[in-house]
Amino acid sequence: MASKKKILIVDDEQDILTYLSTLLEDNGYNTVLAKNGEEALKQMEAALPDLITLDISMPGKSGVKFYRDMKAEDRWKHIPIIIITGVSEDFKKFISSRQQVPPPEGYLSKPIEKEEILALVKKFTA
Amino acid sequence: MDLNYKQFFEVMPAYLTILDPDLRIIAANQRFRKDFGEFEGRYCYQINRHRSERCERCPAERSFRDGLRHGLEEQFRNLSGQEVSLLVYTTPIRNEAGEIAAVMKMATDITEIKLLQNQLRQSQERYRQLFEEVPCYMTIQNRDLQIIEANRGFREDFGNVLGSKCYEVYMHRSAECVPCTVKQTFQDGQVHQSEEVVTSRDGQQVNVLVHTAPIRDSEGQIKSVIEMSTNITQIRQLQSQLTSLGLVISSLSHGIKGLLTSLDGGIYLVNSGLGKNNQERVKQGWQMVERNVARIKTMVLDLLYYAKDRDPDLEWIPTLMVAEEVCELMQGKAKEYGIDFQCAFDPGAGHFAVDAKAIRSLLVNLIENALDACRVDKKKNKHQIKIRLQGYPEFVEFEVYDNGIGMDQETRERAFSLFFSSKAGDGTGLGLFISNKIAQAHGGEIKLESELNKGTRVTIQLPRKGPGSKPASPKPL
Repeated sequence: MASKKKILIVDDEQDILTYLSTLLEDNGYNTVLAKNGEEALKQMEAALPDLITLDISMPGKSGVKFYRDMKAEDRWKHIPIIIITGVSEDFKKFISSRQQVPPPEGYLSKPIEKEEILALVKKFTA
Repeated sequence: MDLNYKQFFEVMPAYLTILDPDLRIIAANQRFRKDFGEFEGRYCYQINRHRSERCERCPAERSFRDGLRHGLEEQFRNLSGQEVSLLVYTTPIRNEAGEIAAVMKMATDITEIKLLQNQLRQSQERYRQLFEEVPCYMTIQNRDLQIIEANRGFREDFGNVLGSKCYEVYMHRSAECVPCTVKQTFQDGQVHQSEEVVTSRDGQQVNVLVHTAPIRDSEGQIKSVIEMSTNITQIRQLQSQLTSLGLVISSLSHGIKGLLTSLDGGIYLVNSGLGKNNQERVKQGWQMVERNVARIKTMVLDLLYYAKDRDPDLEWIPTLMVAEEVCELMQGKAKEYGIDFQCAFDPGAGHFAVDAKAIRSLLVNLIENALDACRVDKKKNKHQIKIRLQGYPEFVEFEVYDNGIGMDQETRERAFSLFFSSKAGDGTGLGLFISNKIAQAHGGEIKLESELNKGTRVTIQLPRKGPGSKPASPKPL
């Protein structure tokens, strides 16, 4: 039996962490959680995930900074990232920062449809 | 009269007449005859002024009397009834015995000069009026940046300060502004523009849009610079309000999207928990739903306060009543988190005129912040919140102290800003902004002292008799 894929969920809202982790675990994934960019980097150092869902607006190290660090690091840049954000303005800034970094594998706007996120996660972890 | 002189007399481009001692015209040149008609046997005042008696101030009469030349500006009426402005000179003509036999009167037509003078005066008055009444601050400055002229608007708001330096008056400072648009205009002769915040003599801050332009002399040299400052304070205030409105919409949109996702999550947990018969998951999901519904409620109530600058609905109520109600409400929450909650109320704190609902909301907001600050602080084993109430003759003081996580300088400085939250997804960024607005609406103020990892002390002073009754120095009852 194939081992379960591991998803790192990064969001500053505890309820969203709970929602996404429950939803993904119900659908056969393992999850690890981080409330900001710093916590997410610690999780990356501990064990590499197969995919990351990333919020953009977070206190401390924001999603944009974390994303740049990820894509600049040879060990991590292959890991697919799905951006999940409620702030379109932040997303615009994020997109404009793509000159230095490749675009994200997926983008979802809050509120998210669970079928959509499951389909994207499945696609990028296949 | 010799022929030559007679010719000169005739062709002189002025009105020439010779008068006898009775002021009768005995000779007149061609130009006079043409414009004033026949003069034989008539008196000068009859012809020149169309009057039957001598004029009150008659230069010819004076010349007869004192033998000197006299001059006067006069209005004559010519044959066609037109008023003519004349510069009149009289000079005595003496006979061989040296006696004054006649007076020659020479009148030069200055009607056009007078007309031009009048036009010039009117034009100057118009420009002066324009300068005085234009709805902006206007000054004229010399190379030393001294104000040498100022219009009414400027004098009213900044005083009669001719001779003072521009930066002293506008900025209340002792050094020139950098860059200085007046200096730039002196240097390059161009119009320059800048936006400044100046302070009027009564201490009001005024946003102004400044334009400077050169004033040149007849040789084209810049002798002074005119500075025109338009008051754009209202535009800036409106802009700030629109920016706030934009922020409200953007923040609302972000907040609502987050809340909807969390609500979706709660519903998912409840449904999937029911499907799997997992009571723990149902309970967790339901708590998520409850929590997020409460957040929506708080957000909407806070927004209602923000959206409407309403005057507080004042009641004369006991301070202790408000303090005790709030503390009773919050004590349970503190206990839930294991936080020591202490209240120290001055029993003689008396009454105050406040909007009870708003003040309760203010205190609940501040105590909730204190609870959150303790809750997220992992560096201390024991946490404590102290609420203090103290009455003073003129005002009432509340204090909310916590030994929670505290704030760094940036958080302290931005704490009262709209939509600033240090609580990640748990805050709306409205709480302290609204609290501050409530305190201000009551004529009071909130002071914040905080140190990172040590704790926070928030002090609220409210005038006992409501807005407009500014508190004096603190003297306990």
